[in-house]
Amino acid sequence: MINVSELSLWFDGNDEKAIIQTLSFQLNKGEAMLLLGPSGSGKSTLTRCLNGIYPRELEGMLKGDIHIYDHSIREAHPGTISKQVGVVFQDPETQFCMLTVEDEIAFGLENIRTPSNEIEAKIDEALELVQLSSYKHASINTLSGGQKQKLALACVLALQPNYLVLDEPTANLDPKSTKEFIQTIRHVWTEQQIGLIVIEHQLEGWITFINRAFILSKTGKGIYDGPLVKLIETNREMLQQQGIRLPKITDLVLTATRQNKASYKKIPLSNEDVLSSVTMDASFLERNRVEIAKPQKKNVILSASDVNLYKNQQRILNQLTVRLYDQSFVAIVGPNGSGKTSMTRLLSGIDRPSNGDIRLYQRPLNEWQEKDVRKQIGYVFQNPEHQFITDTVYNEIAFSLRLGGEHRESVIQEQVQNTLSHCELQGLGHLHPYSLSQGQKRRLSVATMIVDDQQVLFLDEPTFGQDAASTAKIMDLLEQRHRQGTTIIMVTHDMDLVDKYADRVLVLEKGEIVADQSPDQLWKQEKSVIKRWHLDYPNRIQLKQQMEEDRHAFVSKST
Amino acid sequence: MRSFLNQLNPSLKAITVVLLVCLLTFVFDPFTPLIYCMFTVMVTIICGKVAWKWYTLYFSVIFLLSFGMLWTTIAFADQPTNPGVTMHILFWDLPKEDVTVAAALTLRMLAFASLSFMFIFTTNMVDFILSVMQQFKLPPKLAYGVLAGYRFLPLIKEELIQIRSAHRIRGIHRANGIKGSIQQYKRFAIPLLAGAIRKAERTAIAMESKGFNGDRDRTFYRQFTLKWKDWGFLGMMLIVFLITVLFSMKLGYFSWYKGQF
Repeated sequence: MINVSELSLWFDGNDEKAIIQTLSFQLNKGEAMLLLGPSGSGKSTLTRCLNGIYPRELEGMLKGDIHIYDHSIREAHPGTISKQVGVVFQDPETQFCMLTVEDEIAFGLENIRTPSNEIEAKIDEALELVQLSSYKHASINTLSGGQKQKLALACVLALQPNYLVLDEPTANLDPKSTKEFIQTIRHVWTEQQIGLIVIEHQLEGWITFINRAFILSKTGKGIYDGPLVKLIETNREMLQQQGIRLPKITDLVLTATRQNKASYKKIPLSNEDVLSSVTMDASFLERNRVEIAKPQKKNVILSASDVNLYKNQQRILNQLTVRLYDQSFVAIVGPNGSGKTSMTRLLSGIDRPSNGDIRLYQRPLNEWQEKDVRKQIGYVFQNPEHQFITDTVYNEIAFSLRLGGEHRESVIQEQVQNTLSHCELQGLGHLHPYSLSQGQKRRLSVATMIVDDQQVLFLDEPTFGQDAASTAKIMDLLEQRHRQGTTIIMVTHDMDLVDKYADRVLVLEKGEIVADQSPDQLWKQEKSVIKRWHLDYPNRIQLKQQMEEDRHAFVSKST
Repeated sequence: MRSFLNQLNPSLKAITVVLLVCLLTFVFDPFTPLIYCMFTVMVTIICGKVAWKWYTLYFSVIFLLSFGMLWTTIAFADQPTNPGVTMHILFWDLPKEDVTVAAALTLRMLAFASLSFMFIFTTNMVDFILSVMQQFKLPPKLAYGVLAGYRFLPLIKEELIQIRSAHRIRGIHRANGIKGSIQQYKRFAIPLLAGAIRKAERTAIAMESKGFNGDRDRTFYRQFTLKWKDWGFLGMMLIVFLITVLFSMKLGYFSWYKGQF
């Protein structure tokens, strides 16, 4: 049994603000719980306590205790707790120290002195459990993000721990891999009867098999411990306040209920639940986004014709021909490695194509001066930190304006203040960009790209790894820009965002544009086609389809 | 036979190479290293499974370098003791003494190169570190640290490319001059270091979560042992070296290194 009793923790230099405050809970072997909380609520710190890294490596103070069976973490020797508690971390890139799959799993087994002749059998067993057997000899670099997380899981499972702690294991995965990973965990948990702690800020997928929730507030206090469904029924405002994302389907039904367009017997937690317990007015499922008045004549801003891109003799993009119009909101979707990011990098002039023609306002991109291109096109990278240059938020935004040398400092100040409040960063101007939260960093990187009134804005997965509140803020910001006439081109995996915001979708598959249509047209594609493109229908469409199927079944039964 | 070199124990192979490099430094005539260099290349070709494209490429680079070295050593040689004894090469009459010294230095470098390439091209880095840990008690803390770092190299390169284009987008142009590019790398350094430190910390924590504590007391999945063929290889390389030395003595070419340059 894991027993956390009255645990509090402070870091040095911040004595008055505890990271974790008097936290207590117990978890038996075979039980599962979701540990939920917003970013900065001390979730990762708690993980480090649970696997015995703190208090040994802690620069700060710890009160209270955690007992794993009879052993206190205060007396843990390095590496000993790993036999009891296995941890899978968030970042798939940094959990490994060897080059191949089998060596990585062997590494853990060697650490706990498994006899050499038993190691291979245990590797096979662990790989079997996470369905990676065919990758035994593969190099870790060649695995996808989802496979890397499964490997990390196999590594700890090989040590046969009694407890498994997962620290936001799907935050860096796309929706498809997330689904698969959660399925694998479910399989492992039922098969192995281990204790499971899942640390998360979204509920999608987990909620169908984990009932117990423990909720941490922003200040590191435990504010709820009990069944999750009850919490959603009685106090869902609290979840929203803490930035915890409900399953999309639940959110949809609850919103509909609030508008008196649906009623339910039992709160639906997955799409399957909906049919049995929800009655819904079909009109609610129509696409409802406020159309923005479009100019009659569509002006082409960017165009590419017959563009090819090769890297290391591999074809990344093939005969790309596309025109992007003024004031549009374009989503680029498709499987990982289909060339989405490469395409945006070419169109924004970061990289050059191997051959083909790209034009900005009818003029070939390579005839433009780099600094003039930057005044027209902004690009928000996946990792916002890469784009930061100066050491305060204020200077970061002012940087582009000063670069031109054409603005007076008073004008700059006004424009920076406007942009700060526009991006909800007011009052943070004096901070170092690196000290911001994930969501704030992302908004800052958007801010630096719009301050000069760029007409085109590219974004590479802007909502990736963000919690609910932060995603909403970013999308609001983009919507506002779009209303003011900026063309937005966004790479994303989130079909609900596509459905809600985009007016055009480009589907990429193996470096080619295989579909170029409005979201409504895309959702009319056959299921098999959507699946082949590694896409999914947005929730309202899934629901609509299910309800229609149900009606057909009902009609055919009654006749 | 084709992969005999690849199957040898990596750490003893390294010792063999280092030992021979040390022995070769005591020799100072062109003939001995030439013969030994040819022998080493032959061994590599016959007993090794090697990426030939890269092997040839690397060797040609070293070859060009050594040619340059030959030339500069002759051109900037000290005043010879016997300026009368000359050799005619192409259009020039050069003091024989200078030519011999230059050729000895150059061929020595080639012999070193052939030995190092024999090791590098037939040895897996990971195996080498694992073997040093098992045969020569390299502390696991260091060994696995190196391995984890080895994994990081491509990640860091990728990140540098990302940062460079991210900064370009912000309007920072390609740097001009030395001062500019130093400044540019200073700007790259902060995000790169911040990223690297964070990655290193995460990796360290992940390693400890898998039970790693740096203890020498651990088992090994891939076990490396010393077999007779490893010692045999060391013996053979030494004996051939001895034979080469005797042979060149017999022919009167041999000379010890006595601090000359």
